[in-house]
Amino acid sequence: MTRAQQRKIEGGIALTLSTLAAFLGLFWLVFILGDVLVHGIKALNLSLFLSDPAPPGMEGGGLKNAFIGQLLITLFATMIGVPVGVLGGTFLAEYARGRKIARIISVLADIMVSVPSIVIGTFIYAILVRPMGHFSGWAGSVALSIIMIPVVLRTTEDMLSLVPWTLREAAFALGAPYYKVITQVVYRGAATGILTGILLSIARVAGETAPLLFTSFNNSFFSTDMKGPMSSLTVTIFQYAMGPYEDWHAQAWAAAFVITVFILFLTITGRLIIKWRYK
Amino acid sequence: MEVQVVADTTEIEVKGLDFYYSGDIHALKNISLSIKKNNVTALIGPSGCGKTTLLRCFNRMHDLYPHNKYAGEIIFQGSNLLSRETDLINLRSRIGMVFQKPIPFPMTIFDNIAYGLKLRGISKKSELAEKVEKALHHAALWDEVKDKIHASAYELSGGQQQRLVIARALAVEPEVLLFDEPTSALDPISTAKIEELAGILKNDITIIIVTHNMQQAARISDWTGFMMLGELIEFDKTDKIFTAPSEKLTEEYITGRFG
Repeated sequence: MTRAQQRKIEGGIALTLSTLAAFLGLFWLVFILGDVLVHGIKALNLSLFLSDPAPPGMEGGGLKNAFIGQLLITLFATMIGVPVGVLGGTFLAEYARGRKIARIISVLADIMVSVPSIVIGTFIYAILVRPMGHFSGWAGSVALSIIMIPVVLRTTEDMLSLVPWTLREAAFALGAPYYKVITQVVYRGAATGILTGILLSIARVAGETAPLLFTSFNNSFFSTDMKGPMSSLTVTIFQYAMGPYEDWHAQAWAAAFVITVFILFLTITGRLIIKWRYK
Repeated sequence: MEVQVVADTTEIEVKGLDFYYSGDIHALKNISLSIKKNNVTALIGPSGCGKTTLLRCFNRMHDLYPHNKYAGEIIFQGSNLLSRETDLINLRSRIGMVFQKPIPFPMTIFDNIAYGLKLRGISKKSELAEKVEKALHHAALWDEVKDKIHASAYELSGGQQQRLVIARALAVEPEVLLFDEPTSALDPISTAKIEELAGILKNDITIIIVTHNMQQAARISDWTGFMMLGELIEFDKTDKIFTAPSEKLTEEYITGRFG
């Protein structure tokens, strides 16, 4: 066998293995999405969005409380996490550029991204839920925002670092003070990248269950009071899927479907923005 | 007659200027020269000779980076612009700068030019529109962009972008404009347009230009400074530098024996 033939065979084996691996990954993804789609759409109806849960064992009812709860918790998490993340990223990329402190915070943020979310849930339980004496929507929002912050911070830092330094010099040369250079020129240059990071970070936290179990917990009744326990889709899915009733299972599927579509929408929007920006 | 009087006024007087980059790199050594009002002054010399470093002293760009140090004086309108009390924001609006590569801001053509005006607190729409148009006329760009003034500045060609940047600098009505190799990234036609523009602009402002291109210096400048290794070897009328330089080094450089 010549060297060329041998190379050809080796190449063929590598190609086959990597293709198989790719299809194996894809198979499960399609399987899961398909399963959620089939079961979810079957259970989907208008009262799911418009009515509150029926008493256990009773037919009907919906998950209005969980939808609204999820929306509120995620909204407030975004309102806390995005400003902190963006400002922190700005500090790292601009004011502390090249300094040791920036590198340290950057590395810490990278570590925080991979901290298991249940750890963050128990942490918030210890510093917010215990002292307050009860679960609350706020605690849920804070837990999710802590998961968001490092993601937004690192994206912001990276996107700002990509803006050429010469652009800042050009603005300085016109007599702009640094904060105006950042807010009026650099942010514009990095806007789509930062926006994408924010969308992806919302997508990231919207699917979290563990941190909410310890913080906002659950609520069988409709509530918009962030000071009290609050229902969320993910925790509801967890609870309903584990429950004994057939229609709980159906509703859990429907909720899983809705949240999957929501996250898919955010992710695809994020990708589209990237594509549109860099085409 | 009056032109002659104006042409002899000194706009900027550099006296014994030394400059150190962080880490004590002695980049400029005892530079003295006077920049004449409404003249074009060219700084030439081999790469690394300090010509850009000198240019960036005039608007204190070096202050953006830590540990840079100036010594000596640069007298501009009666006061030393290197002094601690100098208001950099004000200084940079009076001494504008155009960079090597065209750097438009990520905004519309209009907003690019309005940017400096807004920094100066001008917010009335009619006034902005009027000044933007004037600056674009001034930079010989108006006819090319008047129909797409609210389009992104990135849609312009490189040469147009460079004139846009010049218009942006002109909008705030500076007294001096610093050019840092403004045509090195441009094609010959765009280069010719910028050079022609410099000839017109000097009726209103003083121009200092750093260039790698000796023909360009000879074509557009009234005064030329030849620098090497951080020192100003010779500074004189451009005609004199290019026909009968006093220093042997200058002669060798302009005849292409090194650099």
